[in-house]
Amino acid sequence: MTGWHLDDDTLRRYVERTDSLAEGTSAEQHLLSCEPCRDRVNAAVGVIELSPIDFAAVWERTRDTIEVPRPSVLERLLRVAGLPAHEARLVAVASAFRGVWLTGLAAVLAFATLAAAFGHARGTWLFLAVAPVVPCLVVASSYDPRLDPALEPELVTPYPALRLILLRTIAVLVLALPVLLLLGLFIPTEEPFAWLLPAVGFVAVVLAASTWFSPLRSAIAVSSGWLAVVPLLAARSGSPEAVLQARVQAAFLALAAASFVVFLARRRRLTQLRPWR
Amino acid sequence: MDSRPGDETLLLAVAERDMGAFRTLYERHAGWLAIRLARRCNDRDLVADAVQDTFVAVWQKPQGFRGDGDIAAWLWGIAIRRLVSRLRTRGSVAAVFENAGTAPAAEDQVLLSVEYGDIGQALARLSPEMRAVIQAVVLDGLSAREAAQLLHVPVSSVKTRLYRAKAHLRAALAEGPS
Amino acid sequence: MATASISLRAAGRTFGATRALADVDLDLEPGVIGLLGPNGAGKTTLLRLLATALPPTQGQVRVLGLDPEVPAERTGIRRQLGYLPQEVGFPHGFTAFAFVDYIALLKEWTQPAARHAEVRRVLGLVGLSDLGSKRIRAMSGGQRRRVALAQALLGSPPVLILDEPTTGVDPEQRVTLRTLLAEIARASVVVLSTHQTEDVAALCERVIVLDRGRVRYDGPVTDLTAQAAGRVWLADEPDPAAKVSWRTGTGRYRNVGTRVRDDVEHVEPSLEDAYLLLRGGSPEHEPAGEAAS
Repeated sequence: MTGWHLDDDTLRRYVERTDSLAEGTSAEQHLLSCEPCRDRVNAAVGVIELSPIDFAAVWERTRDTIEVPRPSVLERLLRVAGLPAHEARLVAVASAFRGVWLTGLAAVLAFATLAAAFGHARGTWLFLAVAPVVPCLVVASSYDPRLDPALEPELVTPYPALRLILLRTIAVLVLALPVLLLLGLFIPTEEPFAWLLPAVGFVAVVLAASTWFSPLRSAIAVSSGWLAVVPLLAARSGSPEAVLQARVQAAFLALAAASFVVFLARRRRLTQLRPWR
Repeated sequence: MDSRPGDETLLLAVAERDMGAFRTLYERHAGWLAIRLARRCNDRDLVADAVQDTFVAVWQKPQGFRGDGDIAAWLWGIAIRRLVSRLRTRGSVAAVFENAGTAPAAEDQVLLSVEYGDIGQALARLSPEMRAVIQAVVLDGLSAREAAQLLHVPVSSVKTRLYRAKAHLRAALAEGPS
Repeated sequence: MATASISLRAAGRTFGATRALADVDLDLEPGVIGLLGPNGAGKTTLLRLLATALPPTQGQVRVLGLDPEVPAERTGIRRQLGYLPQEVGFPHGFTAFAFVDYIALLKEWTQPAARHAEVRRVLGLVGLSDLGSKRIRAMSGGQRRRVALAQALLGSPPVLILDEPTTGVDPEQRVTLRTLLAEIARASVVVLSTHQTEDVAALCERVIVLDRGRVRYDGPVTDLTAQAAGRVWLADEPDPAAKVSWRTGTGRYRNVGTRVRDDVEHVEPSLEDAYLLLRGGSPEHEPAGEAAS
């Protein structure tokens, strides 16, 4: 586009800010549609003394803003909780925290809670069936190879695999348990937290079982087993509270402890690939 | 024949997340944008932040350019609003640079009247406050509220000054060259 | 054991009833070593053994003098190891930069500034420095493979294990990759597996041929190629006396056979010819098709 261009003098005055408003405005209007003159201004402004900003530094900051991943909400929470920044990021990056998963589980839970709140005894049984199973399912999904697509390269890094699994487990429980506890308050029962120990027990069982079988398989097996047992219990005793007496609770506690011991004993298996099917 | 890719091509590449094209865009436009901003605000850090914000905004929404007009104009629209935004969150006053300049020398005055006609002289006779308002609202296209934030004055002041400036200009132009 | 960078002694791996790898004896020094073999030959299993992703069920493995069976030493190996698995999935919604950054975190790059610089460096090595902010799911297969390769290059590890690094990568990128690996191999052990004999021929000094879990050949590429000297000839029709024949781009047939004959039009053997000969013209392997003479 040939034609009128800013002469050197005007350009210099523009860049040095010694021109008048009218001149400057005219120059600016011209610059909006003339690329060669813009290039000339850029060249003039690139000289250190005239440079209004540090262009290289601003570029770096711009690039960082764009390229470097921003911490998610969970990540920031974990940092506040005391985890070092890099570990918080590691833990937050887990399949279990995918929106879809969480939404699905939330839906199931909400349904169970509503059923319990309005359906009385039968509803309470439903909640009792679902609530203990949710934490172990979410824990399993946070390190199952089928759901963790980057498992192989992750595995052969120096970061302790066990620490990662345990941190993810704790993070998931810290998220899931309060939600469950809150929902439990809507249940018309005298023992709204009685499902807590079974839930912990199942998590421990899944952790231990994952040293033999894949975590998701183990969690599904445990969940299915429990869901099969609950209707039998309901038929036999009628009232949910009967199941949650001290004897049963103690049994779950023992199960949790024993499973955790097994997990610790066999933990080395989790540091390498398992030929899980 | 210059074979370098046009700005629109670069924008398309930016939409495809091409950092190289984005960098070229930065190199082509950061300079003149920065100087134009610096002529409205003498706080270098604010100008730097505004430039950064501008390019981040371009990256986030390259399709914001509808293809009408110059890309440079679109970029300036983003840049000036980012500057205003930064000023708003700044709290304290960032002294806005007054491009009052020195009184033009005699021969320049002749040039002024030839090249810019009466408008230039009429503008030169306005007070700095009124000039600033004209520049912000009329020339940069800011709203009264945005201009108020840029100049750090109440919106009512902006409107009053604008009214008075326009009255002055009308009078000066009606008067004819002195 | 010898002071090689990687050593295997009678190493083997069994999965249930299947013997995936048996009786492997190897000593690997800095350089580029190619692993050649058909599907199911045990290449991936061998690479996993070297990468400490799987323990051997028989024999011994030593990487940089360390024993992967000892947990502390295994971590030591992993600090000096880069591994590109055959299949890499990526967490949902990640950009290339985010993924490599994540692996860098696992590789103990705790300082953000240094880590980001290293991420940019390896993305640059694989030619993706301008695409760091692109979502991986929006990338082509070859680009994804390059992202996966980039994470293996973090920290310039002395041991680099690559499972099919050239699959899905276009020819221009293959050339860049070859140059890159040649540069790295000056100080590191690079073990790569591939189906493409051209890659081995162009890139590797040494080749190991695996078949059904056992080492069939281990030595310089040139020596293997020489095994087919005088045993490759061209004809207008496929020769029934040949072990393998296939039609080349010129319309003539390339024949490879075990018996050296005089009355035919001999041609210079390629690595692929020697490889086919070694495998005994087994129907499992199909030649690339184009003659590479």
